[in-house]
Amino acid sequence: MNRKLKLLALFVGAAIVGHVGLVMAVPHAIMNVAMNRISGDGARINQFSFGPRTTKDSRGVVRPSPDLAYASCVYDLSKGPLLVSAAPSPNQGYVSLSAFAANTDNIAALDTTQYPQGIRFVLARKGQPVPAGVQVVESPSDKGIILDRRLAPTAELFAEIDQARRADSCAPLAQS
Amino acid sequence: MSGKLVTTGVLIAGLVAGAASGWYTLQRGMVQGEVYSGWSGSKVTGSVDADPWTRARVAVSGLLALNKSQAIYFSRNTDDSGARLREDCRYRVTGGVLPARWWSITVYAADNYLPLNDDDALSFDQTEAQPDGKSEWTGILSPIRPDGQPWASTSKAGNYDITLRLYQPTPQAQADYAAIPMPKVTKLDCGGAA
Repeated sequence: MNRKLKLLALFVGAAIVGHVGLVMAVPHAIMNVAMNRISGDGARINQFSFGPRTTKDSRGVVRPSPDLAYASCVYDLSKGPLLVSAAPSPNQGYVSLSAFAANTDNIAALDTTQYPQGIRFVLARKGQPVPAGVQVVESPSDKGIILDRRLAPTAELFAEIDQARRADSCAPLAQS
Repeated sequence: MSGKLVTTGVLIAGLVAGAASGWYTLQRGMVQGEVYSGWSGSKVTGSVDADPWTRARVAVSGLLALNKSQAIYFSRNTDDSGARLREDCRYRVTGGVLPARWWSITVYAADNYLPLNDDDALSFDQTEAQPDGKSEWTGILSPIRPDGQPWASTSKAGNYDITLRLYQPTPQAQADYAAIPMPKVTKLDCGGAA
């Protein structure tokens, strides 16, 4: 009986570890898959990739909005901070830059209502040297994703904002 | 069977059962959490304050979701009577002024991607759904294009759900989801029985 109880306790304990372990690991695993897809298996790090208009064939990330245009940058802060910026859309439509850590947390979201002349910030790890006078976003992880979202519900609007977003930057401070 | 073998077997069985239960929990998609007039939403989606289950669920079915300071997401897979949304039915979606700079309603298939149809009408948004004299807007969910109304196509959507996005929600909306006047979803007919 004592042995059966011990085995039951072992089973329950292992089940809890399996359950919590999977739940904790899933965000990191899915984020890694997304970062590999967006960066072309690491070929495009610290630079924006400009997605085409969202359609039924958009399968890179779940639940894309067909009303938004997306540009994404997989970041790597292991060699220093990045300067991230986005120009406003010509029609003053919605633009946001959001940063996501390796565990999927949305660590920052800035938009052109707050910054009508364009969004600009330095993304850094805690303790990395950053220039004075610039907004700084601290990332809890070396790697993650920055996303530029722009309102573009029609093909015409998409063409307009596609030109504007080409001025976006996501590059090491030394190169900026 | 040796005692060591039994112990190892129980350990592995426990780990597998726990992992399976975790995966099952994450497969329930975005239609869970607190419910507001039939719409499910979470105040901690995308937030650093999200619990591990919410974080994992969002990773599976809503990766790169914004926190509520920038966008609030609500989803549902039933109409106002509580019946499951069906691809072959027509639904009228009505609402008033929503407390956000911009909103949209999008159809998602069970795989969390857009339905594989060629209707070029995967959502309707605030720019299309103009309020009438009573400040109320109307949109249609159906597999066939309606005449002159904002439309999100449910063709080839299968067991779909819809997501309401509120971008740049007001501070009051962020603080109290229950105060948001959620759109109504009313079934009109099914199987082309109009």
